[in-house]
Amino acid sequence: MGFIGSLIVGWVIFPMVLYSKQAQPMNFDHALHMDPERVFGIDGDTETERCLFCHAFRDDGTFAGIPKLENCTQCHDDPDMPLGESEEEQAFLNEYVADEKEIPWLSYYRQPDCVYFSHIAHVNMGQMECGVCHGDHGQSEILPPYEENRLTGYSRMIWGKRISGFKENTWDRMKMDDCAECHTEKGQEQNNACFVCHK
Amino acid sequence: MKLDRRNFIKLMVGGAVGLQVTPLPWKITDDIAIWTQNWPWVPVPAEGAYDHEASVCSLCPGGCGIEVRKVDERAVKVEGREDYPINPGGLCPLGMGSLQLLYNEDIRFTGPMKRVGPRGAGVFQNISWDEALEILSGRVNVLRRDSRPEAVAAIDGNPVESTASLLIQRLMQTIGSPNYLRVPSFEDTDRMVNLLMQGVDGPVAYDLENADFILSFGCGLLEGWGAPGRILGLWGKWHDRENKRKPTVVQVESRASNTASKADQWVAAAPGTEAALALGIAHVIIKDGLYDREFIEQKTFGFHPWNAADWKEHQGFQGLVLSEYSPRKVQDITGVPAERIVSLARSFAKAKAPIAIWGKGKGDLNGSLYESMCVHSLNALVGNINKPGGVLVLDRLPLKQLPETPLDPIAEAGLKKTPVGAAAGEDSPFAANLLTRFNEALSAGGPSPVELLMVFGANPAFTMPDGGSMRRALKAVPFIVSFSPFRDETAFMADLVLPDHMAFEKWSEIIQPRGVQYPLYGLGKPVVKPLYQTQDAGETILKLARRLDKAAPEAFPWKTFEDIMAYRAEGLFEAGAGLVRYKPAQPPWSWKPFAEPAAGFKSSKDMWQKIKASGLWYQPLDHQRAAMTTFKTPSGQFEFYSTRLEMKLKDLNKAPSSDLVCMPHYAPSSPPSDSSRYPLAMVPYDMVNLVSSWLPNPPFLNKTLLPEQLLKDASYAEIHPDTAKAYGLKQDDLVQVESVAGEVRVRVCLFEGAMPGVVYLPFGLGHTAYDEFSRNKGVNPNDIIAAGADPLSGLPVWWKTPVQLNKV
Ligand code: SF4
Repeated sequence: MGFIGSLIVGWVIFPMVLYSKQAQPMNFDHALHMDPERVFGIDGDTETERCLFCHAFRDDGTFAGIPKLENCTQCHDDPDMPLGESEEEQAFLNEYVADEKEIPWLSYYRQPDCVYFSHIAHVNMGQMECGVCHGDHGQSEILPPYEENRLTGYSRMIWGKRISGFKENTWDRMKMDDCAECHTEKGQEQNNACFVCHK
Repeated sequence: MKLDRRNFIKLMVGGAVGLQVTPLPWKITDDIAIWTQNWPWVPVPAEGAYDHEASVCSLCPGGCGIEVRKVDERAVKVEGREDYPINPGGLCPLGMGSLQLLYNEDIRFTGPMKRVGPRGAGVFQNISWDEALEILSGRVNVLRRDSRPEAVAAIDGNPVESTASLLIQRLMQTIGSPNYLRVPSFEDTDRMVNLLMQGVDGPVAYDLENADFILSFGCGLLEGWGAPGRILGLWGKWHDRENKRKPTVVQVESRASNTASKADQWVAAAPGTEAALALGIAHVIIKDGLYDREFIEQKTFGFHPWNAADWKEHQGFQGLVLSEYSPRKVQDITGVPAERIVSLARSFAKAKAPIAIWGKGKGDLNGSLYESMCVHSLNALVGNINKPGGVLVLDRLPLKQLPETPLDPIAEAGLKKTPVGAAAGEDSPFAANLLTRFNEALSAGGPSPVELLMVFGANPAFTMPDGGSMRRALKAVPFIVSFSPFRDETAFMADLVLPDHMAFEKWSEIIQPRGVQYPLYGLGKPVVKPLYQTQDAGETILKLARRLDKAAPEAFPWKTFEDIMAYRAEGLFEAGAGLVRYKPAQPPWSWKPFAEPAAGFKSSKDMWQKIKASGLWYQPLDHQRAAMTTFKTPSGQFEFYSTRLEMKLKDLNKAPSSDLVCMPHYAPSSPPSDSSRYPLAMVPYDMVNLVSSWLPNPPFLNKTLLPEQLLKDASYAEIHPDTAKAYGLKQDDLVQVESVAGEVRVRVCLFEGAMPGVVYLPFGLGHTAYDEFSRNKGVNPNDIIAAGADPLSGLPVWWKTPVQLNKV
C-alpha cells in the first residue's frame, strides 16, 4: 500500500505540485511564420537561417533571444490593417502594436543566471542547428503553456518534460550533463571545464 | 485493513522504499541545489542588448571620462574611459557607485513637489510642473510688482564658469536682486591666489605629470584631491615599479592620512601653522642662495626692498622671511624640528622640477588665502612657474560670454540695493557677497530681508562649515525653493522642489577640471532617458524666466539650455584651436612638440557636434605655449607683494595697515573662544570612500567604512592614545566633542597617527536626510565648526576649531 501510494505521489502528484502552469500572453504560430511564401524575406536554405530571421544575433554577436515588438512591427506595422484573418492577430494588434507595448513572453529555455551560454559559438562556430537543442519548436502552431519549477523558478524544459529525466533526443533536456555529453561526443572535452560556462 | 503497529511500519517502509523508485527524492535534491545557487532575491540585471555610452562624469570637479555599460535602457556599470586624458581607465569610488544615485527613489525626487509636512521632515506632495512654475513665478512677480526684487535670493553651488551658474546669475539680474550667493569653495581661494600673485582670473594649473618633487600642504592626493581620477591614476603611475622617474612626495599634514602614510616623507606640522612652515622653507632657500636668481630678478616684484612713489620703504619678501621665519622660530610655531625644515628646503630647491601644492583634504572647500600664497611663493622661489613640472599660468577657457543682460527699471533699481551678505572693506575686499554673512544677517532675528530663496546645485544646510548657522538662516526664510535632484537636508527645508535631472540624465559641462594644466572642456551626455518627472535645472530657469512679467524677454533668447552651452562653446571655435580626440600615445601634458595640429572644424556647429560625440575639447600644452608666459598683475611680474590688493584697498579708502596685508605671511588664527575652556583642536578630514560634497553618498560606499569609523549609528573621533590617557578615555568610549558652536557625540578611536591634542572627525557623515543608509549615521563636523572669517577672503575658517572633550 505504502509502496504504491508513494509511487503515485512520486510519479503523478509530485510533478503536478512542482510545476506551475501559465499560458503565454498570446499564441504565436511558428510554423506559419517560418513559411517563405507568407513571410517576406524569410527565405534561407536551412531552417536555422530562417529561425535567425527573428531570433537574430546582435551586431556584437550576442543573441537577442525572444524578439522584441519592433521585430513584429516590421511587418505588423499598422494596428488597423491585419495581415491575416485570425482573431489572435487582431488582439495582438490592439493590445500591443497600438500601444507599443512589449509582449511579456515567458521563456521556455532560459538557463540559470550562473550559466554563461553563447548561441553564436554553437550556431556559427559549432555549425549546430537550432533543433538540436530546441527540437521542433520552430514547427509548432500552438505555444504550449509555460511550466515553471516552483522551487527553482526555472522552466520545466531545463530538466526536461519527462519527470524521470531520461531522454531519447538531444533536445529533451538542457542540464549540465547534457551540455557535457555533447561536448564530449564532438571532441570538445576542453569545454567541459567549469569556468567555460560558470564564469 | 487495520492500522496497527505492524501495518503502520509496513506502510512506512513500503512508502520509503517506493519513494526511492520515483524521481521525487532525486529531483528535489537537484532543485534544492539549484535554488541555493539562485536565490530569487539576489538581484540580477535583466537580459537585453549590451551597449556602452561614452560620457563624462560631472559628480565632482574632476570630470573623468566614463563609459556606462547598459543592458537595454538600464545602466548597469560605470567604468573609466581609456580614451580620455583625465583618468585613463580609472574612476573614484563615487563614480563607481554613482548608479545608486540614479536608481534610487529614496534619495531622489521623482517630480515637482510642494511641502506638506513640517520643515525638515521631508514630507511632500506631487504637483505638476505647470503648477510648480506658476507658484514660483507668481511669488517673484508679486515681489517685483512691489518693487522689492531684492527679497529674492539665490544660493548657487555650480562651478564658477558653468553655464548653469551664469544662467542663475542672469536670472537674478533679470529679477533685479543683488542677492546671488555662492557656496564657498576651493575655486574662491585658487582664483584669489592667481589674481593676487599672477594677475589672472583663471584656475590654478599644476603640471604634476612632469614634476619630480611634490610638496603637498595637506592635499589629500589619495583622498580625492584635485581631479581625483587624474591624481589616483598618477599615484599609481608614480609607484609603478617600471617607473624610473618616480617623484618624491612629501605630505605636510598633522594626521597620518592615507596620503601621509604612503608619501615618501610625512611632516606633521601643527594644524593651522602650515603657512609658517612654508615660509620657514622659504627662509632656508633664500639664506642658502638656492632660489632661482634669474626668475626672481627678472620676473618677480616685491622680493627685494623698494621705495614706493611716496618714498615709503617696503621691506620685501626676502627681508620678511629672513627676519621672521628662521627654522628655529618656525620649529616653535609648527612643532617641526628645525633640521627637518632645513633638509626639506634643500631637497625641494635642489629637485629638477619641484612643485608646492595647496588645498586641504579633497580640496573642495576654500583654503586659507595667506597660507596658499605662502605655499605658492615657494614655486616662485624655485622659479618653477610656466615650466615643466611647475605651476602654469592658465587663462580661463575662451568660452563666449553671454550678451549683457537687458534690465527693466525694477531690476535696475533692485540691483543697486546693498546685498544681504555684503562683504566689506579690508576683511574681504574682493568678495561681493559672502554666504556666512548672509546667514548672520538672516539669523539675527527680526523680519527676514529675504522672502524667497532659491537653492541650486548645493546642500548648504549640510556642507557649510558654520556650526549650523545656515540651517538657522533657512528657518528664517519664509519661502525656499530647491532645485536639487536629491532629497537632501536643504531640500527638506524647502517649500517647493523643482528637481533637476541626475547628472546621467542630462548634458553637463566640466569647464577645466580642477588643477589640470592644459585647457580642457568636458561635456557629459545623457546616458539614460530621464527616469522620472524631473527637469534639467537650466530648462526650468528658462521656463521660469518666460513667466516673469515685464522683465525683458530678450534676456533669454535661447530655446533650450543646450543652445546656451553651444553658444558659449562658439568661443572655443573662434579661438581656432583644440582637439576633440585623445590618443593615449600623445598625452596633452607632454612638453615635446605635439605631432598633431589643431583640428580644423568646418563651423562652430561642426565642432559642437564633435564635442558632443567625444565629450571632450582640449589643447595640448605644446599648442598654447605662447599664451603661457605673461603675468597680468599691475607690475607685469609675479608679485610677492600684491599691488592689485594695495590699489583695491586704497580704492576702498582702507590703505593696508601694514605691508603684511599684501604679502604671504603667517598669522595664527585667532580662535573666537576661550582656550582654557577649549584646549584641544578639532580638525575635520576627508575620505576617498565617503562623499562629503553636496551629493549623497552611494549606500555601497558605507560598506567600505571600517568599524572604527562607523559602527551602527555612531561615528568615531580619532585621538592620540596620549590625549585619551589625559582624559581617561579608552577605545570605543562615548564622548562629547564641544566647541563654542555646539557639541556632537561620538566614540573614541585611539590612533597613533593622530597628533596629540587634536581630535579628528570625518566629513560626510551625520546626514539627517536621504535614505536609511545615510540618515543619522554618525555626526557632521560642520555642526561644531565655529566659522571665523579667513582674513582677506572672508571665507569660513574650517580647518581648525578649538574644542573640549567630555566623557559621557
Ligand atoms: S573623480 Fe569625480 S569625475 Fe571622476 S568618477 Fe569620481 S566623481 Fe566622477
